[in-house]
Amino acid sequence: MKRFRIADIALGIAGLIVLLLLWQLVTSLELISRVFLPSPAATISALEWGLVNGDLLPQTLATVNRMIQGWLLASLVAIAIGSLIGVSPVARAYIQPTLEFLRPLPASAIIPVAISLFGLNASMVLGVVVFGAVWPTLLGTIHGFAHVEPRLVEVSRLLQMSRWEFIYKIGLPNAVPDILAGMRLSLTVALILAVVGELLTAQEGLGTAVLHAARSYRAADLYAGILLLGLIGLVSNYGLAIADKRILAWKN
Amino acid sequence: MAANPAIELKDVSLSFGSNQILTGIDMSVDPGEFVCVIGASGSGKTTLLRMIAGLLTPTTGKVFSNGKPVLKPSRHVAVVFQDYGRALLPWRRAFANVSLPLEASGMPAKDRPARIRELLAKVGLAHHEDKFPGQLSGGMQQRLQIARALAQEPDTLLMDEPFGALDAMTRQTLQDEVLRLVSERKTTVFFVTHDIEEALYLGDRVVALDSNPGRVAYDIKVPLPRPRDQLTTREHPEFLRLRREMFEIMNKIHA
Repeated sequence: MKRFRIADIALGIAGLIVLLLLWQLVTSLELISRVFLPSPAATISALEWGLVNGDLLPQTLATVNRMIQGWLLASLVAIAIGSLIGVSPVARAYIQPTLEFLRPLPASAIIPVAISLFGLNASMVLGVVVFGAVWPTLLGTIHGFAHVEPRLVEVSRLLQMSRWEFIYKIGLPNAVPDILAGMRLSLTVALILAVVGELLTAQEGLGTAVLHAARSYRAADLYAGILLLGLIGLVSNYGLAIADKRILAWKN
Repeated sequence: MAANPAIELKDVSLSFGSNQILTGIDMSVDPGEFVCVIGASGSGKTTLLRMIAGLLTPTTGKVFSNGKPVLKPSRHVAVVFQDYGRALLPWRRAFANVSLPLEASGMPAKDRPARIRELLAKVGLAHHEDKFPGQLSGGMQQRLQIARALAQEPDTLLMDEPFGALDAMTRQTLQDEVLRLVSERKTTVFFVTHDIEEALYLGDRVVALDSNPGRVAYDIKVPLPRPRDQLTTREHPEFLRLRREMFEIMNKIHA
């Protein structure tokens, strides 16, 4: 993996500035009514007010919390099941068809099921986040285990390593690049589902904040919420990219 | 009564389906003996090594290690593969790669570092313990694999064309290092190569395999004095005579 170069960062910031300018242009020319698209300045001041005086900060934290909890739980489940499937042909035969049945189900489609099982509460939302976010990491783990260098399997046999030793000394480390790639995808899914879950259940969080703002024609607040969601995605993705680079130092 | 042979093969043959790889192999290696096996690619020399390692089971016949039948790999037998790049754990630093056999054999964690550093120093990697295999040259990676094999304190070392992928200079250096390392502990070595000079330089004995199916064609003693030396040994009249003889044998086999 390449280093983040200064030039790349500058380009990325330039791209964001262009977007901001376009937004400013559209609102200055009033191409879209301010009721639907507030100016960047109005949005920023709504954001500032909401964070300092309003309840935007606790709501942001609630969403981030939900996202991270769901993501961590999903990753844990995915790595555990993935390792099991990865080392055991029997487990694979048992579980794979069930997984193939569950995987194509849109996470949002299981929300009604989740509501009837858990009720309209936070654990239902968490359940849906986990269900949706588990797949990329699960598939990454299975893929990583399936592509262990055969020579290393022989090394483990020669050293008479137990199956458990094989999993955590060879299988899992070998799957780490795939697991991390899966976890990055899964984090985005977790954010989306956390917000969707909030929208549907009126749990505290940015999803609910955005919905209320839209329903009461507070366009600036609506966009402030969306800006925050974008920022959460951006920051978490960069955070993971940096973690990736450190964990995968041996690949360079 | 004489001690059991370190390695013994009795009428061993192996086939995959209708494909006969090895047939009627009878071979015995004494403890502490350095035996080189040469043969063209496809003569089954690597397959033979894998059976001695317990990675493959012969179709018929039996393989013994120190008098006991080989049914699965044993910690007393270590293997060094040709493809060091695949045999090492790329995510572990040199230090932790050598640690692997020590962990597997249950050595307490507090005793490992001293042993690991001793082994790394033996193969000349004392200053590279914090490097990942990908940061080491081919020769250094192979040294690392040798250190890992020695960490098992094996009675028998199986080496599968270990220097085949290295340049001539590195290869000679490593040949001498292996000779030095195995003479320290009187380790039995089963060394597969396709290089006649390498086989004569290293071995107490050279076994040549014939191909299709693989079988023992010739088995000759190498009465060259030890310690061996890259210049004097290779210029020794007996070395030159054996080299000619082996070339003629190999030509006859492959004619």
